[in-house]
Amino acid sequence: MKLASDNFLQEASAALNAPEKVARRNLLGQFLPLARDSAASKYGDFDALRAHMKRVRRHTSEHLSHYLQQFEEAAVQHGNQVHFVADAEQLNSKVLSICQAHSARRVAKGKSMVTEETGLNELLLKAGLEVLETDLGEYIIQQAGETPSHIVGPAFHKSLAEIRQLFLDKHKLGERGLETASEVVEEARGILREQFLAADVGIIGANALVAEHGTSMLVTNEGNGDLCANLPPVLIVCTTFERLLPRAEDAMALQRLLVRSATGQPQTCYTSFYSGPRREDDPDGPLETHIILLDNKRSDILASDYREILDCIRCGACLNHCPIYIGVGGHPYGWVYPGPMGSVLTPLLTSLEQAHALPNACTSCGRCAEVCPANIPLPDLLRDLRQDESVQRIKPARWRHGLRLHAWLLRHPALYQRFTGWAMRLLGWLGKRRGAFRRMPFASGWTGQRDFPAPEGGGTFMGQYAARRRRGVRRG
Amino acid sequence: MAESARAQLLARLRAQETETEPEEIAHALAALGHAQAARAPHPDVHTAFLANILANQGTVELARDRGAAVQAIGRYLYQRFRTHKLVAGNDPRLAAMPWRDGGVLPRFGVAEAGDAAALSYAKLGVAETGAIVTFTGRANPGRNNLLPEDHLVLVNREDVVSTLEEAWVRIRQDTQAGSWPRGIQFIAGPSSTADVEAQLVLGAHGPRRWHVILVGDTPTSAVDAARESLATAPF
Ligand code: SF4
Repeated sequence: MKLASDNFLQEASAALNAPEKVARRNLLGQFLPLARDSAASKYGDFDALRAHMKRVRRHTSEHLSHYLQQFEEAAVQHGNQVHFVADAEQLNSKVLSICQAHSARRVAKGKSMVTEETGLNELLLKAGLEVLETDLGEYIIQQAGETPSHIVGPAFHKSLAEIRQLFLDKHKLGERGLETASEVVEEARGILREQFLAADVGIIGANALVAEHGTSMLVTNEGNGDLCANLPPVLIVCTTFERLLPRAEDAMALQRLLVRSATGQPQTCYTSFYSGPRREDDPDGPLETHIILLDNKRSDILASDYREILDCIRCGACLNHCPIYIGVGGHPYGWVYPGPMGSVLTPLLTSLEQAHALPNACTSCGRCAEVCPANIPLPDLLRDLRQDESVQRIKPARWRHGLRLHAWLLRHPALYQRFTGWAMRLLGWLGKRRGAFRRMPFASGWTGQRDFPAPEGGGTFMGQYAARRRRGVRRG
Repeated sequence: MAESARAQLLARLRAQETETEPEEIAHALAALGHAQAARAPHPDVHTAFLANILANQGTVELARDRGAAVQAIGRYLYQRFRTHKLVAGNDPRLAAMPWRDGGVLPRFGVAEAGDAAALSYAKLGVAETGAIVTFTGRANPGRNNLLPEDHLVLVNREDVVSTLEEAWVRIRQDTQAGSWPRGIQFIAGPSSTADVEAQLVLGAHGPRRWHVILVGDTPTSAVDAARESLATAPF
């Protein structure tokens, strides 16, 4: 997928000016956290589960080479072909060569963020293959020629009316109502069903790789990934090495965290462990299976201070709880992964130079870290990226000088207090008549949506605090 | 190329790791223990199982024995599809059921695109999540879980375990003798999607309905108790 993160600010402003979409995102921003909270409290001690998973992750990443080899050995024994690829290009050409070896024409894909990352579809289409996304959300945006706006619900940005119009345009099925979500789903079901049955190759991702059994775990509600894994004669699993976990029980613990954080369910409809091609007297299943393990800078991240972002299980909770994500939606982030996790991952997987706007799209409110089931200190990682941005002089000079000035002021509390006191008095005097400002220089982003309240007098907090203490001391 | 990517990755990983003997790693792993299961909606494991199936948008029924199960299946098929036909895997347990008594006409094999209903005999039921577990193979082809409109599942009372960890203890026992199955599937509800405006719609790509029949001597009050435990759930 092409990177367009350097337009974040412009795209974000544009997104804020579409009131209907803003309202729908606000609803999601209320509904999804409620679902997550209810599921987490129904579970019991969710924080203990998070802490357990963190320990398992630490252990796994400390012995990753061991578990990787254990996985590979078991997977090969099951009859899989395991391929290691270093970057996006290698993954794409590996998939293409497998498809070509089978003279495949039709590819059915389950949801896979990894292949979004590598831009696989584009290459396959160019090579003349038909590629069909089968996750309903992915299917909708594929038909619309758009990119995902959310890692769990890729088409959350589209209204029912928009999807209806899209289907009326794309599916030549004559007059029909298509007025409810059920009717829309029904139509997609009919169309995709035929495609599943006709596909030559199925491609899926993995939510976890179980080292002890050489299996990959797939977690879905629609069952589309399972159809991709069961119907076509060739199956390709595209995944990354940091999905590895030692035991099946660890994958179950991950699944407990994942579904509650993502949708608020106790378990998704389908949780499948696939081990390889069909067995000798199996009546169905793929005849050939491939597992492609992508690195794409992940081993660099593992060796850096940002390694904790590799614990991410792609639940989307940090998106749903982020005021910036809910405010502007996923598209301004300009790549595959939006929201807090995307603001950390995108600069690391692409370059900080191109994606430096993203770590700045943060209010440091800390809600993401509060809910992240993988206990990733997202605000800290974002701050460190901003620090790198400053040190590497990627941040625009005006910002850097501004920040330096601010830092200098902060180190001189007396001056800081005097300066803020003046500013306050000035603002209080200027805004005395209305009690608020409709417009302000340097702050049009704020005043575009709401008025800026004028200070009410009485001085700064520190000023009032000092005054009270003096009074208190006198009284005491 | 592929070989070098592998060697490169392993070398990079090893450079980060302190060398440890496999036994030591296994020891450290065992010391981590396992996670806690989710809180159960009811202290009785079978009632909790039924309650969670209902919470997953499934439907439940009790059958004293396999004869009663056949009757239940016959009624279900007639009510839903006005049919007696059913597809089921080559599971010896299914083959031995008194189909004629219930007027059911099973076809043993792989589900095809037009099949209305498929029946599986689950290996396990998991109370914690209201899931059933099947292995792909002759006894239960993978397609049978996915292609039909309705998926009917039989589970023996004694095969219901309380947690996901217990499920894996059983799965390991069951796979020790034979070879590892191609697919192990935990199914917890009819196929569903929330991709259109976050509204839940059943019957996305797979079955629209999911009907679980618990086989064995379960008191009929268990279903009511399951419903009640859902209605009075604290959240
Ligand atoms: S960073 Fe945490 S909250 Fe965000 S998607 Fe990953 S696991 Fe979920």
